[in-house]
Amino acid sequence: MNFEAVIGLEIHVQMKTKTKMFSSAPNSFSRSPNSEVAPLDMAFPGTLPTVNKQAVINAIRVANALHMEIDRTILFDRKNYFYSDLPKGYQITQQNRPIGKNGYLVIKANGVERKIGIERIHMEEDTCKQVHYPDCSLLDYNRAGVPLVEIVSHPEMHNGTEAMKYVEGIRNIVVYSLTSDGKMEEGSLRCDVNVSIRPIGQKAFGTKVEIKNLNSLKNIESAIDYEINRQSEDILSGKPIRQETRRFDESNQKTTMMRLKTDAVDYKYFPEANITPISLSEDFIADAIATCPELYDTKLNRFIEMGLNETDASIILSDRDVASYFEKAADIAPGKEVANYLSGELSAFMNKNSLNVNTLGLDPVSLGQAINVGAKEKLTHKQIADILLRMCETGEAPEAAQKALGIVAMSTDSNEVDAAVKAVLEANPQSIVDFKAGKDRALGFLVGQVMKASHGKLNPANVSKALLSELKK
Amino acid sequence: MEYIDLPIEELHQALVNRKTSPFELTKVALARAHASKENAFEIIDDEEALAYAASLVDPEEDNLLWGIPFLAKDNFSTKDLPTTASSNILASYRPVFDAAVIERLKAKKMVLIGKTTLDELAMGGTGTTGHLGITYNPYDPTHQRMVGGSSCGSAAAVASGIVPFALGSDTGDSVRKPASFAGLVGFKPTWGRISRYGLFPFAPSLDHVAYFTRDVKMAASVLEALGGRDDRDSTSSLRSVEPYCELLNKNTGVKRIAVIKEIQETIKDNDVLLHFSKAVEALRKEGYIVEEVSYPLELLQSLFPTYIVISCAEATSNDANLDGIKFGPFKGGNTYEEVMKRARSEGFSELIKRRFVIGSFALMRENQEDLFLRAQRNRAKIVSELNKIYQSYDFIMTPAAPSIAPRFEDSSDRLSNEYLIADSHLCLGNFAGLPSITLPLFLKDNLPVGINFMGRAFEEANLLALSSQFERLSGLAELSTVTRKEGYL
Repeated sequence: MNFEAVIGLEIHVQMKTKTKMFSSAPNSFSRSPNSEVAPLDMAFPGTLPTVNKQAVINAIRVANALHMEIDRTILFDRKNYFYSDLPKGYQITQQNRPIGKNGYLVIKANGVERKIGIERIHMEEDTCKQVHYPDCSLLDYNRAGVPLVEIVSHPEMHNGTEAMKYVEGIRNIVVYSLTSDGKMEEGSLRCDVNVSIRPIGQKAFGTKVEIKNLNSLKNIESAIDYEINRQSEDILSGKPIRQETRRFDESNQKTTMMRLKTDAVDYKYFPEANITPISLSEDFIADAIATCPELYDTKLNRFIEMGLNETDASIILSDRDVASYFEKAADIAPGKEVANYLSGELSAFMNKNSLNVNTLGLDPVSLGQAINVGAKEKLTHKQIADILLRMCETGEAPEAAQKALGIVAMSTDSNEVDAAVKAVLEANPQSIVDFKAGKDRALGFLVGQVMKASHGKLNPANVSKALLSELKK
Repeated sequence: MEYIDLPIEELHQALVNRKTSPFELTKVALARAHASKENAFEIIDDEEALAYAASLVDPEEDNLLWGIPFLAKDNFSTKDLPTTASSNILASYRPVFDAAVIERLKAKKMVLIGKTTLDELAMGGTGTTGHLGITYNPYDPTHQRMVGGSSCGSAAAVASGIVPFALGSDTGDSVRKPASFAGLVGFKPTWGRISRYGLFPFAPSLDHVAYFTRDVKMAASVLEALGGRDDRDSTSSLRSVEPYCELLNKNTGVKRIAVIKEIQETIKDNDVLLHFSKAVEALRKEGYIVEEVSYPLELLQSLFPTYIVISCAEATSNDANLDGIKFGPFKGGNTYEEVMKRARSEGFSELIKRRFVIGSFALMRENQEDLFLRAQRNRAKIVSELNKIYQSYDFIMTPAAPSIAPRFEDSSDRLSNEYLIADSHLCLGNFAGLPSITLPLFLKDNLPVGINFMGRAFEEANLLALSSQFERLSGLAELSTVTRKEGYL
């Protein structure tokens, strides 16, 4: 029997706003525990929620990027349940009227483009963070009330790669719209995956299993592919699939059961009366969209138009800091050149020394200037790269680094080239014979000899041209 | 009689002329508070109150509230001063912030002398369910009659002359009903007129900051202080606050008063009906047009069940924060479930648990359509029928209670029409969020009965002007167990 997997994703994204979703406490990651807490975040009696405007703007931008219908009225509901990480005993969310619905994201997986339907995007608040010890649990309310958007896909993906590409696409949107830093490993982008399988051709869904704790794109792919296999094998061996929540164990690349899902919990949703409905004007929505920072796809196309190939462009875009570094340098020097050094020598240097663009020691403006100076002086790629690496280490200006390295431009004087070529040819008669006998390798050897004799000061293209014309005489 | 028993304007003049001082007033208020036998206090804050009052030495001529002692119902957050909502679940709770209204009153240099009892978590109308036990009606020294609730302590304290003003809260009629039983002005402005920041929620869509005074001028002056936008309560209105005191004597030309026939017909106390008709006559003499109108009886009968469903549903969620983890007494437990269950089992009384069960039941997936959502739709109907009356009338006038304060033994849950409608119609003002005020109408066997006027949204100025006029007709301004008055009506 052949099976088809059906995969749906719920993604929670922590928003990067100055303050929390409903309180005035600062919202910033990794401060000391319980240092960023307003009375509302600990649910002190009498506190009231006020909606964070920037969070609404962010949600509109993401909804727009996902081609969603945006609701003109903002309404919130309460989701009621008791848990130690839920200070108010309810979460303020948008159950009945999500800010966005009916959208899609185009993904490209295994060379095929697909449109993945998105059911809804809504705003809500994060819970507090729990740290469990054998004899106690500690609560950190810094996270309580951090603004979230939850993005719920339709169950339209069929394998781990598609799901991974989908999450990557969502991450690119939230990162480039400056909605979130989108760091899965730090929990600012969290993914719950629902996987079920059914015999190909069957319409009804199989029993749905939820996977949590997926903290990287790779893990999403691996967990789903493992889970599809596991479910297929269980069904084939007659074991029924149970409705359960599983976690991915990264060390042995398996999913393991956390808990069985009994009857779905009744959250007793009802409208949040402390927030009166907020009408969004067309101008407000249009302005939120118009002022949205340039998104991933637009940047990718622009980079390709600059002459970058798709691989280089997506490597640069895989880190927003690198992309913005690149753009600053590309404002000064040709983008294609910048990309060459950035994804080549500079990238290798950063990897080797565990650096990033911010700690590299070379600001993007200097990078651009060095490239321009090199071009003006007609330096070779290798020469410019050497200058750049020295600049990283010393912080020198391009000219100073060049001087210190004793790098001079290739001579373009044809007399000088001709003289050197003649000298080498005279010294290597055998190579001339070889060349004439059709051994093309001989040309390379001769170019090398000329370059060596001239200490690299001659342009190899000119040398090879002069050699050819001399040999053909 | 002391200075503190005077009408607010005279009291203010006495302060301005330095015939008395905030310190002297506070001493009298504290002495009376300690001597009172009504069980009206959660806490009396002698030390702070006296120290602050002593610091007020330069009278502010244009601030009617300057140096006046006041009390707050113990469901307003007061920084560093224990706030329990008369519930054991908050027995040890010391808030870290002042409610918006407390801030604003302090800014007016009023002197907070303590916190008053309430029905536990403001849920109840009898003043009998707080964790300190029954609060009594000061008009009945034998302690057989209730003062009403849930703002029982504030009502008892103002009625016994301790302070001229006390904060309460009103979700169904929790200020305006006790005002009737205690012979006071009980005023609830429009929903959104006063910030609820720091008011412990019972049911936010119905909750109002409200208060007791002994005269309308004081009520108007307090509204000038408390009204207005507060960014911490996003439901608070951006409309500007009017000079209510100045507008009290302006002829507004707003003259049309409706009396709802179906409510009148449920009143069985003939004295109430008699004095109500005297009030109607007196108002007509003043040029008001008072006419009987009809309101659907079945909607009136649905007021109480609708109120119970909506308020209990909201309450079960609002009080879910009281779990013994963050504040309030910690009762131990090995798991979070145990910690919560212990704190909540021991912290709430049976009555509160009953309300939570009702509320939770109404919100359950399988019941929500039939109970909660139906109640919401019914609320919309109730409000829209009310708005029809306001198309032709400026005010609605009703008896504030079916009769004098009931005896405790008679306060069982009798669901007769009288109790269903005459005892619950004031929540019309909560459903619609309209400004509503109770004023003393007459005394029967030395026990007061009130009248209620309800106006259009945000037309507090008109409502207070009518009330000021009515106060002169009734002759019952400054009524308290100290002043002992007989009315004119």
